[in-house]
Amino acid sequence: MAVETKEAEIVLKVAEVLIDELKLEDVTPATFDADIDLVDEIGIDSMDLATVALVLQDHYGIRFDEDDYPTLTTVRKIATYIGERLAS
Amino acid sequence: MTAPRVKDIQDVCCKPETQWKFADILADAAIQDRWQKVRRYFFLRESTYDMARRCNIRCEGCYFFEGPKQNAAENRDPDAWRKLMRAEKARGVTFVVLAGAEPALAADLCRVCYEEMPLGTIATNGLVAIPDDVGYRIHISVWGNDATSERVRGAGRMLERQIDNYRNDPRAVFVYTFTPANIDEVREVTEILAGHDAKITFNMFSAPVGYAGPLKHTPESLRRTREAMLGLLADFPDHVLFSNYNAVVHTHRLGLHDLFACPYPRRNATRNVGLGRSFRQYRTDLNWDRKAACCVPDTDCDDCRHYAAGSAIVTSKLFRHATDPETFRAWLDYVDTYLAVWVTGYEKGSNLYTGVTAPPCCAP
Repeated sequence: MAVETKEAEIVLKVAEVLIDELKLEDVTPATFDADIDLVDEIGIDSMDLATVALVLQDHYGIRFDEDDYPTLTTVRKIATYIGERLAS
Repeated sequence: MTAPRVKDIQDVCCKPETQWKFADILADAAIQDRWQKVRRYFFLRESTYDMARRCNIRCEGCYFFEGPKQNAAENRDPDAWRKLMRAEKARGVTFVVLAGAEPALAADLCRVCYEEMPLGTIATNGLVAIPDDVGYRIHISVWGNDATSERVRGAGRMLERQIDNYRNDPRAVFVYTFTPANIDEVREVTEILAGHDAKITFNMFSAPVGYAGPLKHTPESLRRTREAMLGLLADFPDHVLFSNYNAVVHTHRLGLHDLFACPYPRRNATRNVGLGRSFRQYRTDLNWDRKAACCVPDTDCDDCRHYAAGSAIVTSKLFRHATDPETFRAWLDYVDTYLAVWVTGYEKGSNLYTGVTAPPCCAP
């Protein structure tokens, strides 16, 4: 399976994982605001972020640093992080 | 069922040779089922509340009577507490831990809390019965047999009175706190409690700041405690709410903070997510101090092996434990135990991991 590398594609994938794992309703990957604060606005917490990070690790074959994922509180931040990991 | 042989699990790193994908770990049906069971409770966000600064007994090494919290004035106004609970709910708290000194001495306030926040636990010495209409989990502290309790806690016939107050009470969990002096009494006490069909879990005495007395654990007492825990878990599987991994992490030579890093505000500067963001420890005057905020304030963090601390510290380390099936099974057992101990109505499943494994202290 080809892994998305462009930021826009990664944003969509991150949104898709969030929606699937957290059972978010009334939103699609395309309509998910990439800059909304996931903690303040959606109410996800550190366990949710850990779960999403694990699923994204699987998909992209990268490793999240345990100290980093709690700071990745928007879809765009997560996508940028993944992009940087892929590039390195 | 026999207790597993205890290997040397005092190592602090346990990195698997193969990096497992999370999806492959979850491909195991038993792991998947337990994961789906426990993750439904990820919505729990706790804070703790001192309900009274009075106590009807005085225990050597009690953490409440260390530090400034013991001097906070008592707010006994039910309306003030109701207002606080509503504010807590509004900021996202979903689980309350009511403590003290002795919260049973403020039962009316406990009731107010329960009316506003249905999920929670009360930590009590069990000598004053908490009314039935306060439907929280009730943790009854046990520090040994009755002779020891009289000596260390100044209260006679303690176990007998605790059992009388909470006989056949589905809310009740008896929490046996291990000290170096009472390891040899735990079987006797567990037999009595199991005979009354009571649930039991284990805690570790964790020294208050500055405490250097005989209740503080040593390497030898940690080893003996672990053996006792594993033996009782094997012999009383229907009454002891625990797991092998609980025994490992709570008797490790390193305290919980050194093993995993405590997520409570007192040791965690992060404010954007998790307990660093949401947790507060309210004193009896309804104020709180971030610098002191943790589940057992004024405990020496280097010595902290407290069951309450582990419930947050170990549970929050999902990411670190999702390295391989064995480690993840152990973590799931720990979380399953924590939910059974703290959440009324949650039924513990069989432990998935019957071995002993070193904690994955290093981040993957």
